[in-house]
Amino acid sequence: MFGVIIIFLFVIIIFYKQINLTYNNNVIIEKTINSSSTADISEPKFAINNESKKIYITASQGNFISKDEVLLNKNVKFKSSDFSIETEKVIFNRDKQTAKSKTKSMFKSKNATITSDGFNIHDKGNKIIFYGNSYLILK
Amino acid sequence: MKLIIKILIVFLISITLNAREIGETEITTEDGIEVFQNEKFYLLKQNVKIVSDNFTLSADEVKINFDKSLYDITELDANGNVDFKSNEFEISGNGNFLNFKVKIEKIKVEGERSQLITNDIKMFSDGFIEVSNLNGDFLLKGINSKLVNENIIVKAETINGNFSENANEKEITYLEVIDKNISYVKNNDTEMYAKKINFDNDTSIIELIDDVIIIRNEEKITGDYGTLDTRNNSYKIKSNNQNKVKVIIQSNE
Repeated sequence: MFGVIIIFLFVIIIFYKQINLTYNNNVIIEKTINSSSTADISEPKFAINNESKKIYITASQGNFISKDEVLLNKNVKFKSSDFSIETEKVIFNRDKQTAKSKTKSMFKSKNATITSDGFNIHDKGNKIIFYGNSYLILK
Repeated sequence: MKLIIKILIVFLISITLNAREIGETEITTEDGIEVFQNEKFYLLKQNVKIVSDNFTLSADEVKINFDKSLYDITELDANGNVDFKSNEFEISGNGNFLNFKVKIEKIKVEGERSQLITNDIKMFSDGFIEVSNLNGDFLLKGINSKLVNENIIVKAETINGNFSENANEKEITYLEVIDKNISYVKNNDTEMYAKKINFDNDTSIIELIDDVIIIRNEEKITGDYGTLDTRNNSYKIKSNNQNKVKVIIQSNE
């Protein structure tokens, strides 16, 4: 009886995840179509340079907030030789080479993953602050 | 019924998403993580909890030094309300501050009511307790320092020593106990006081230096220098002044 309940719950979880994934994908596609026309830059690409490495920044859209600040939207990725960060919204300052996000973020490096409520990149990528309730997994 | 199923689903999904797998270390913080790539350390802020297969730690704040990447931990500093347990090293403890050097397996607990507990030895201090797991050296320094195992109780301001693994039990091989007021050692039925007390497992001799008092049963002997042979439980006391050795035999009545 207990086994049947476990299998039942497992099936429900899989269905729930499937439905959720389909729904989320539809929402993302819909939003992209709706807002793609309002973006200042589509598929923006930037880089943060420091002495030891380069951090490449990509996103689906970008909107200028000021001369130096760009709001990067959707599928925002930071990638260097030893880590990557993914999130949905980032304000990138081209002059100061800083980036700030208040959306759920995921940092990945070799054998380590950090999820947080946002992040702040300073000092040309040397210092990364992850905000709020943060969760680090080391393998 | 639907509500219960929804709650169950959300609960199970949240467990699935956050569950730590075997071999992984899970770290949670309430006020974020600061990573310093060049300096090779990260700060874990507010109500930090670290859980792995063989190790748990909680503290207000933790600083972790790493080598190649975040997972490659070389040193850990935990600050405020530190509480930890290592199944691998069979050690647990708590204090205000903890320093753990991973490669050399050296642990230091600091602050009032610090404790380090192993299967065989319990250590307490209001100063600090330092243990090197590789060579067995230990040092307790500060007021209310105390070491307790099955056969011996030691109380002093400084307790310096070494233990070795003997038949899966930690055995004290030497002790150097110093207190400017008075040190205390209790071995089986004998209580000993002196400013400095040394013990060498090779000779089985406990050496007592300055302001010596030995109490056994109803006997109390005072002097300037004494030795106790732990093999046959016999002791000798002498004084710088021939007349100074004093024996008091108390009556039970």
